[in-house]
Amino acid sequence: MPTNPLRDPRDRRLPRVPEPCALVVFGITGDLSRKKLLPAVYDLANRGLLPTNFALLGFARRDWGDVEFSELARSAAREHARTPWREEVWERLANSVRFVQGSFDDDNAFDELASNLAELEGSHGIGGNAAFYLSIPPAMFPTVLKQMQRTGMAESSPDRWRRVVVEKPFGTDLASSRELNELVDSVFTADDVFRIDHYLGKETVQNLLALRFANTMFEPIWNGHHVDSVQITMAEDVGIGGRAGFYEKTGAARDVLQNHLLQLLALTAMEEPVEFSAEEIRTEKLKVLRAVSVPAEDDMVQFAIRGQYQQGWLAGQRANGYRQEDGVASDSSTETYAAVRLGVETRRWAGVPFYLRTGKRLPRRVTEIALVFKRAPHLPFAPTDTEELGHNQLVIRVQPDEGMTLKFGSKVPGSVMEVRDVAMDFLYGEQFTEASPEAYERLLLDVLLGDATLFPRNAEVEASWAVIDPLEAFWADTEPHPYRAGEWGPRAADAMLEADGRLWRRP
Amino acid sequence: MTTLWDTTGSAVVKELAAQRRTGGAVMSGVALTLVVVADEGRVAEAEQAASAAAEVHPCRLLVVVRRQVEAPVPRLDAEVLIGGRLGPGEAVVMRMYGRLGLHAESVVLPLLAADAPVVTWWHETPPELIARDALGVIANRRITDSAMAADPVAALRNRAHDYAPGDTDLAWTRSTPWRATLASTLDSVSGRRGDLVRVHGGQVEGDPESATAQLVAGWLSARCGCTIQVVPTARVPGSAGIDSVELRLDQDEVVRLQDDRKGGAVINQPFRPEAIVALPDRSLGELIGEELRRLDSDEPYSEALEAVTGATGLSARPNCRDHVWYDPMRPQQTSEPTNGNGNGNGSPPSASPAASAATPAPTVPDDSTDADEVAESGEHDSPADDSDEQPVVQSPDAPSAAAGGAPTRKARTR
Repeated sequence: MPTNPLRDPRDRRLPRVPEPCALVVFGITGDLSRKKLLPAVYDLANRGLLPTNFALLGFARRDWGDVEFSELARSAAREHARTPWREEVWERLANSVRFVQGSFDDDNAFDELASNLAELEGSHGIGGNAAFYLSIPPAMFPTVLKQMQRTGMAESSPDRWRRVVVEKPFGTDLASSRELNELVDSVFTADDVFRIDHYLGKETVQNLLALRFANTMFEPIWNGHHVDSVQITMAEDVGIGGRAGFYEKTGAARDVLQNHLLQLLALTAMEEPVEFSAEEIRTEKLKVLRAVSVPAEDDMVQFAIRGQYQQGWLAGQRANGYRQEDGVASDSSTETYAAVRLGVETRRWAGVPFYLRTGKRLPRRVTEIALVFKRAPHLPFAPTDTEELGHNQLVIRVQPDEGMTLKFGSKVPGSVMEVRDVAMDFLYGEQFTEASPEAYERLLLDVLLGDATLFPRNAEVEASWAVIDPLEAFWADTEPHPYRAGEWGPRAADAMLEADGRLWRRP
Repeated sequence: MTTLWDTTGSAVVKELAAQRRTGGAVMSGVALTLVVVADEGRVAEAEQAASAAAEVHPCRLLVVVRRQVEAPVPRLDAEVLIGGRLGPGEAVVMRMYGRLGLHAESVVLPLLAADAPVVTWWHETPPELIARDALGVIANRRITDSAMAADPVAALRNRAHDYAPGDTDLAWTRSTPWRATLASTLDSVSGRRGDLVRVHGGQVEGDPESATAQLVAGWLSARCGCTIQVVPTARVPGSAGIDSVELRLDQDEVVRLQDDRKGGAVINQPFRPEAIVALPDRSLGELIGEELRRLDSDEPYSEALEAVTGATGLSARPNCRDHVWYDPMRPQQTSEPTNGNGNGNGSPPSASPAASAATPAPTVPDDSTDADEVAESGEHDSPADDSDEQPVVQSPDAPSAAAGGAPTRKARTR
């Protein structure tokens, strides 16, 4: 900010603080708002990262007054905040909290919202800047966006910015995501649209870029000459909870594979960006996503597996099968597990399979990226010495226990030569336990600052759908493979790697 | 936790390794070592703050307490803790008696985490010259606290004379909330105008004796290119020594921040209603935590220090120091640097004329071993050797006696 003499890029003690602005949340009474958004706003305020002039507007159908809303917001923030509770911080924040009640097709309610915003501009000095967070089902988007257009709330001008934050799912296939993008872009300009993929707000994901591009020792082996295969896993131990309605229509591939896993793949496989800026990083990610290939039609049976959990035992408790969950059809063919072999058709990655898998009701909650290296071309040891030696691995643990593991062979102490795998661990939280900001906190701050580095652009979303669509088309009339709750996916997924002479890593 | 009485440095290293083996899941690596130098009376306070900081930035914690330098027999007592009251990491609290205190680095060096940065923090009256404390010389970053000196502003001047990049002061750390608020207030002015903001002048109202208030004024002066001073106020200023800050901007606008005594500050700026921001008091642990976040040199601090003290070229100084042997039991030893030899003019570059006016510049022997009989002959084995040092202990009150005692030693320094 060259216009402020007190800003100095060398002065890194001073936090990046957004300009005065308002945050408008649609669907403020929802789960996400209560568990993530409101606590994130409080945490930001507590860390001194919100501008001095800041206002929070909530919009929802529920019939509430400012006082009731403020009470809800307070208890939600207090319950889920990550930083210590300071009443005075909340009180200051609560002064600038407003609630507007109304349904999304109610013109009056939106007029009231617009006038509230205009009023805050004066009384709270927010200078007309506002970010709109659409924490609502995508089906409501058109209505809300049209209302915003009608009331002129969405127009950015040189003196003020207006931004919109959209949550996944960004459509259900390429066609619908195009439609959605066109709709959002018709109301907001493309630069003002922020698509939240909260995985990208996680420190480890950002650390992946530091790991690859700030060090010398990883990049030379980060290619098909040395890498045998890549496994990207996102496992959840929970079921679908109360989201049956949503999940029945979506399934694991659309819910997770399309966004989180493909974004992780893009960050793992992308070339070095020209500079560490939003535009350049997105450009490189887009290149990778466009280079992703799906299995050939004949191979789909073997290399695109989906599964559905059956009744089983997980963590010492009986777990219902998917079809027995409330709200799920008894003959549902929605998948709760998806595993697929993808290729990245670039010089760097040609011939290296990328195995992606995600599932619910797997033994533990874990997300990781594992690079499995080729075996040494020649081993000077007797074959019996290295029987226990596997492939070298570099594992980036995204969650939990954010960090990195390096797996390599080492001699077993003793009088004979015997080489066995050992693991070397780097635990991010051990070196820096500084309470790293929660993903939503970081992303929310970036929206207010206008920094789009960690947000996928609509071309990326469309490229991702282009990967998923052929898979969905193949799966359309098939039944998912069953797997027991509490095991690592269906047998067919193991067979998929066995066919290539490989094994899934147990995360 | 193990306490080792009358022990040696090697025994401490062994004990640490032994505890690490039996401790089960311990940290596989640490990013830095924090050396805390504290007075006996402030050890508890320092331990609390350091362990709070270690929660945020895992580090190996080495607490050095120097006691009774005049004690005839040196002794080391050490407490080795892993995952105990000093936080999750490894910690060693060392009490050093006698002349061992002058050679604390001999115990500390083997305990430093391998190839990781070292931060030394003095939780006591800051040393006059950091070069005189080997624990400061081995550190990549040195944290003093001018507020602990009897005259904080003089201490700040002293810091400027002694400055080397990588030095920092908690008086500066305490200014961060004020500085952040000031910067974001000007952000909103420039955001409203959509154009450059110029600061033509202003003042910091508060306690002119406060190092933090002076540094905020110095920082504003350095950033804005005009002189901004600390003026006394009738109100009792808050913990940072600042009651309010007023900046006169171009276009005849004024912004003003006022401490509201409730953990916040009131911002007055043109065309905007009054706003309140949080300006919480931070604990010592949080301050140390902020310091450990960055380990590179802090140019804005050196510029603020220049503006306060009139010193120049601070950031261009070399960022490492040579150890200067100094014996607090013979503070007069350097009053006649040329005494006894023709080659004793080697006053250290860091001891500027002003510093030597206040306290005589010490001579620089080639190394401390050469100058110190204790290190050469091992006092522990021959305590009788100390008999001639005893009278010197009194010397601060009787300079003539010291002057009488010192010259015989002087000849040996070069």
